[in-house]
Amino acid sequence: MTASIENSHFLLRRLHSLLGLVPVGAFLVFHLWENSQSRFGAAHYNGEVVAFLQGMNYLTVIELLVIALPLAFHAGYGLLILPQMRLEPRRYPYARNWLYGLQRVSGVGILLFLLVHVGTTRIQGLWQPAIRADLYGHMQALLSEPWMLGLYAAGLLLSVFHLANGLATMGIVWGLTASVQAQRIFGYGCLTFGLVLAAIGIQGLLGFLP
Amino acid sequence: MSRQHRTAASEPEPSAGKAEPDRIHLRIRRQDRPESRPYWQDFAIPYQPDHNVVSALLVLRADPVTIAGERVEPVAWERNCMEEVCGSCAMLVNGVPRPACSALVDSLAQPIALEPLPKFPVVRDLVVDRSRMDRTLAQVKAWIQIDGAWDTHAPAPRTSQAEWAANYLYSRCMSCGCCMAACPQFGPHADFVGPAPLAQVRLMNAHPTGRYDRVDRLHAIMGEGGLSDCGNAQNCVRVCPKAIPLTTAIGELGRQTTLQALRDLLG
Repeated sequence: MTASIENSHFLLRRLHSLLGLVPVGAFLVFHLWENSQSRFGAAHYNGEVVAFLQGMNYLTVIELLVIALPLAFHAGYGLLILPQMRLEPRRYPYARNWLYGLQRVSGVGILLFLLVHVGTTRIQGLWQPAIRADLYGHMQALLSEPWMLGLYAAGLLLSVFHLANGLATMGIVWGLTASVQAQRIFGYGCLTFGLVLAAIGIQGLLGFLP
Repeated sequence: MSRQHRTAASEPEPSAGKAEPDRIHLRIRRQDRPESRPYWQDFAIPYQPDHNVVSALLVLRADPVTIAGERVEPVAWERNCMEEVCGSCAMLVNGVPRPACSALVDSLAQPIALEPLPKFPVVRDLVVDRSRMDRTLAQVKAWIQIDGAWDTHAPAPRTSQAEWAANYLYSRCMSCGCCMAACPQFGPHADFVGPAPLAQVRLMNAHPTGRYDRVDRLHAIMGEGGLSDCGNAQNCVRVCPKAIPLTTAIGELGRQTTLQALRDLLG
């Protein structure tokens, strides 16, 4: 056993960083792509997309181990280190400083959104089979409320921002990008990725509207 | 290296066309004792071209009378080299952490607000206790062991010109603490060592003799308050008066610690 293994500080931080990308970030990409198929209508969405997922073997185990637990650790550890922030955006109005603050604020926002989102879909579906049977109709009913559509759009954009910006800082944390130029180029790459993902997500939301 | 922070700071262009002001207005945050409440005082000294903040404070010390006409205790501050290499005169000048000696009065908006360097405990007026910097430099083993199981009479190992050119950037650190003052993760509330000690790990790890203690230094910054407490806000590199590529050091150390963790885990 060597120092960095005995002391869990480094490993926990890196685990927090890694889980944000895999599986949590990867799930977000899959989830938004999957739901962008809402534009094909109720029959396709319920019959193909949702039916495929609901028919997956070991679905509950996968949901717990690949999504819920990593997300809970990422969120919980994030909340633990959040109080270290002493943001001074007026004194230091640089883009990276703003992004640093937004990364932490968005994390809290996403957590609140997920409580509503998961609660009114997956959890509520546990005792209301009608939701599982016609998820398209359920989402359409939810998103027809303007405030709920706004909440979903905000939660979606915060999540996409958190992933794209987290990816950019991951490059520095793990040592992929060291020079200023490399960090800038990778940053713009992450921005492009975020914009594309946001477009896919928004399209998915709009696909549910009547 | 560019000095982007200078343009971003709240400084106007030198007033070329305007008439010279007849005085220099200093607004100084004062504090009598470490525990006492800070308060502000305004001073004016006769205008002279080419003053810097330290030389203005020297003039003020000769006759410490406020604008209101009250004779007060002279303002306490630290200075030494007057050429931006010792780091002792770092303070907030118009809200920006920087060495006072290289803060040229003619390029500053007036009144010039002077405050002690934040994040460090105030001793008196503009004097802060930066001994935490010494402790963190010791914590990350920012030194090179001269003696060891090697021939001390052997000639120094060769270093390529590209390598020493890169290392030289980090050797310019003068421990002024500006990067730590600007860091949103550093302060009395947290045990983060801050950017300057991390950059010294980058420097010492690249040194031909210093690299022998590379693993010890990496393990030191993989513990509490180490590299992973950096939040990548990157204010440090914006305010560093020596334009040290602190964020590049942090990226390089990210790479070194990633590989070190793999070595620790897998042998």
